Amino acid sequence: MATEIKKGFNPNPNSELHVCMGLNSCKGQGYTGKNDCAGMGECSTVSHPCHTLNECKGQGGCGLFGTTEEFCHPPENECRYQGSCGAPILNSRFIVQGPNKGRSVWQLARARFEEKRTASNQKFGAPPAGEFGPSNEYISELYGETTVKDHSSCGQSGSRSCSYIQNKDAREAEAKANVEAMEENSHKEIDNTLSTCPKRVY
Amino acid sequence: MKTHKLFEIADQVTPANFEDVMQQAIALELATIPTYLSTYYSIDRAQDQDALYDKIYKQLNDTSINQEVPNEKLAEELKTDILVYANKAAALIMSVVVEEMLHLSLACNVKQAISSSPDLMSIGQTLKFPAELVGHEPEFVINIGKLDLDQLSTFLQIESPDPFTDPADSPETAKGVVKYKTIGRLYNMIIECVNENYPGPYAPKPQLLPNEPGKPPRPFYSQNSVNTVYYDDKHKPVFGSADDSGDLVGVYDAASAVKAMNEIKHQGEGNDSDDHNKLEFDSNNMPIPLPVVNGKVQFKPGDYDDPAKEELSHYAKFLEVYSLGVHYKEKFEAIAGIDDFFSYFVADQLPNQKQATYNLGQGGNQEEIAWMSKLGNALYTYIILMVETCYYKDEHTQFQVFMYGIHKSMIWLLSDVGNAMRSYTFTAPDGSTYTPSLTFEFYDFSEASGSPKEQLIDIAKSLAKSNTSSDSNVDSESNWSWLYNDEAYLPSLPDVGLDHSVKANVPEIPA
Repeated sequence: MATEIKKGFNPNPNSELHVCMGLNSCKGQGYTGKNDCAGMGECSTVSHPCHTLNECKGQGGCGLFGTTEEFCHPPENECRYQGSCGAPILNSRFIVQGPNKGRSVWQLARARFEEKRTASNQKFGAPPAGEFGPSNEYISELYGETTVKDHSSCGQSGSRSCSYIQNKDAREAEAKANVEAMEENSHKEIDNTLSTCPKRVY
Repeated sequence: MKTHKLFEIADQVTPANFEDVMQQAIALELATIPTYLSTYYSIDRAQDQDALYDKIYKQLNDTSINQEVPNEKLAEELKTDILVYANKAAALIMSVVVEEMLHLSLACNVKQAISSSPDLMSIGQTLKFPAELVGHEPEFVINIGKLDLDQLSTFLQIESPDPFTDPADSPETAKGVVKYKTIGRLYNMIIECVNENYPGPYAPKPQLLPNEPGKPPRPFYSQNSVNTVYYDDKHKPVFGSADDSGDLVGVYDAASAVKAMNEIKHQGEGNDSDDHNKLEFDSNNMPIPLPVVNGKVQFKPGDYDDPAKEELSHYAKFLEVYSLGVHYKEKFEAIAGIDDFFSYFVADQLPNQKQATYNLGQGGNQEEIAWMSKLGNALYTYIILMVETCYYKDEHTQFQVFMYGIHKSMIWLLSDVGNAMRSYTFTAPDGSTYTPSLTFEFYDFSEASGSPKEQLIDIAKSLAKSNTSSDSNVDSESNWSWLYNDEAYLPSLPDVGLDHSVKANVPEIPA
């Protein structure tokens, strides 16, 4: 039977808590517990909608509400209610403030994850939904939804993956092209993204 | 309706009246926030585009007049006009609200450093709408109200970088007479007084400060959020504020005080260049809009507030929203069968609504509307109390009050109530109906027992229990019980007393 996600619900209750696909630190610590290695988890093991609503350290999804410093270090919040946005982090989510404005939050989170693993000589595998982060459709399928729900987290400015074209196929194509362009640019600029962030001192 | 005068702009700023003038400047900055926020909450900025298309398409088909382009294509074009403009107007207004909160803090920092702690609660108590800024000769009325061209005209008058001619005066009496003062001129007088009389250094007192390398985080200000983002007609994101347009400034001496006040001036009015657009009125006493060329408003170098010319001043942002609003209103008026442009995305709200009116509502959901309004007023007042309290506390406490209090209250609590009210219909005692809105009235926590936070939770519980509708599909209690049942919302607010005491009160992490 498909698993329905609820706020704070974790279908793999003994796993570590992390904010998205590919950010788990061990085998069996992903959303389903079936992942073979660090960095290969299918999805977040926490779910919350936005800024200041996370329950613990390291659970802020980042990117939409907060400061430049916070946006540079997803999801490295120190404490409960200090996360700068919701989890999971979709591939369409971009940073809204600072030198990396308009670039992918997930790719930065993954790059930070890989930095840490590499620095401590720990292995990690490829994320299961590709190198640019999970799409809304991927999350929806993973959650076993019969109709695709919106998992894009908070904000009043509307979907981050959309288009105003009335023809549904053309609308979907333009929305996809916009997200892919952001993903490609973020991938190309990832070294700049890491280097322009202020060092974390707290 | 009787108007309420916020303050009088002094003819001269001296050490004798410095404290009062700074309090007046803070009152001005504070007054802009509910004014702009009320308009922001009237906008449905991300509605169902297919439903909107269907509505317009049907309206076009229902008229017998043939358009130059097929109705399908025209409906899609008009739908996109509405969606992009609504989202853009909201994003730009929110970007100004965020910077007005910065200006409030900057003015408070100056007053705190040079004279005394800012008294925000007193200002909140006297701030009533409709309001006036005495000193702008003659005065003009400031309403809280929905987005329309009249409201944007008021915004332009508030932020105008130049003295402007009174639209109500006849040309004969106004000719050659510059009677108006501007907010920028008020700050110029304060700057002159500071330079002459308060060189510093000033005694250290709590202020809201910017982040500094090596210091603990100060998450007090960030110019952009997802709510200052909008999408262009190709659905590419556009950001309302530039990164280099300003930040908090610690005030330690005359130089830093002047820096803080110049930042307020430049963000509001532009970068001091004479080459900027000015506020002029037409024969109908409405601002003359800028031309719109290929969907874009053309600006001058002095309309920007930052060196890189990436961010317009508050005045120019509002001029853009106004000019595009005029453009689209005229475009829609020229097409047979369709509605007023603003009616597609702006709630049918009346200006300067009062709690007392909502208390007299008739019929289903009216008690709920009254409690929503009351909760909105209590949250608004609590935010003012929390900001004031920061000026009495160390950095650690400021962090707690901001992170767990002000952020949650602005982003989640006040915002959720303000936006939710758009989906209700209020029925007045005379039978008229319209959309309710936040009233931004001072909530006097001293009139009831319990801390302000306890009172907030009590109001939320009353709100949740207030639904008496027979409609089984409407369950008010489940709609609102998250406010006090979910620890992440009201329970985790810091408990801030009217005496500026603070209990962090963050719930324990679950086992």
